[in-house]
Amino acid sequence: MKKAEASRKIEAKRRGNALGFWFFKVSLRFFGLKGAYGLLYIVCVYYVLFDRTAVSGAAAYIKRRFPSHGFVKRLRHIYLLFVSQGKQLIDRYAIISGCEMFDIQIRGYEQIKSLVRNSHHGIILLTAHVGNWQAAMTVLKKLGKTVYLVMRPEDNPAVQSSLRISREQSHIKIISPEQDLGGIVEIMNKLKEKHIVSIMGDRRYGFKAVEVSFLGDKAWFPYGGFTIAAAAGCPIVVLLSEKVSAYKYIVDVSNVLYPCYVSGKDKHQQLQQWVQEFAALLEAHTHKHPYQYFLFHDVWTEEAKRAGEKP
Amino acid sequence: MAKQKQKELEEIRNKLKKLLVSSLSLENVKPEDIKDNEVLFGEGLGLDSLDAVEIVVLLQRNFGLEIKDMDQGRKIFYSINTLTEYIHENTKK
Repeated sequence: MKKAEASRKIEAKRRGNALGFWFFKVSLRFFGLKGAYGLLYIVCVYYVLFDRTAVSGAAAYIKRRFPSHGFVKRLRHIYLLFVSQGKQLIDRYAIISGCEMFDIQIRGYEQIKSLVRNSHHGIILLTAHVGNWQAAMTVLKKLGKTVYLVMRPEDNPAVQSSLRISREQSHIKIISPEQDLGGIVEIMNKLKEKHIVSIMGDRRYGFKAVEVSFLGDKAWFPYGGFTIAAAAGCPIVVLLSEKVSAYKYIVDVSNVLYPCYVSGKDKHQQLQQWVQEFAALLEAHTHKHPYQYFLFHDVWTEEAKRAGEKP
Repeated sequence: MAKQKQKELEEIRNKLKKLLVSSLSLENVKPEDIKDNEVLFGEGLGLDSLDAVEIVVLLQRNFGLEIKDMDQGRKIFYSINTLTEYIHENTKK
């Protein structure tokens, strides 16, 4: 196992253990949603003060989102970002376990329903580390299609067991990008069988990246989803989730992109243009909900260095 | 019979190399530069998982062939020769 990979797994395990998740589950049952949220404000102080990896991971995003703010204000933003993520993790557990009832509305539902019904191939859901995308997936159950998530299996066993991503939600399956050829053969076959394949648009997972403008700076976003969509001839539905109040989420699937290469034009430029469209949607979302973009890796510099690497 | 097979394989190989260069937009690579036994992914020609997308589509569009699973894909996508054998075996009338 590579050093960086081992370190990622250790970090993931350190950031939440079975006892921690048990504690929040019990709090949720005894004190309700708002009681469990209250405990988060204390726990997140610990992370801001002692978890340097988490703080530096969030700092890249916060620095670009609040460029005019100084060190103390940025630290406050990071704290609020941690609290917001904690709330959405609790929500995710509450939704899956049925402890609490949430109002989850889908913006663009009729459109996605029609796409699922009429598309000759499947569709690609392009998501990001925005809001509670996992909860959004539970709502898509209504479409009656299996959703294949292209993601690494959860590194943290406590998270895996607490959130039960693919055990209870049988309509959600995982395709690991760590297998041969990044799972491409499986992805293409699922699309051909008219399934929905969900890909993270802001995490490379071995796919190559392209330079785009994001939050006032040059950033690197993967273009794998667009290459696959253009090759398979299927549409891309951008999925962005937002928590608008304690018990309400809006899942926005109203933005649809149709990547199709124009012959004679540079392929790379076309890909860049499509990824830029996605980045612009994401940026608009961060302006509306600054504490709902859980980007804990640096897409502006760290990723840029690795952009030329072959997966 | 063997000569006929060799001729057919040669035709497929040449077609494949031309298709790879055009579909994958390989810069500074000519079809004749690709060696028959060269490893396509990683070392060798240096293709990556997104190039595999184009090869999957290329096989479907030009030869009407599908790759069923990852195990099969791993063996077939190894080199020009393995791809050629697969196409020859599966498009024979």
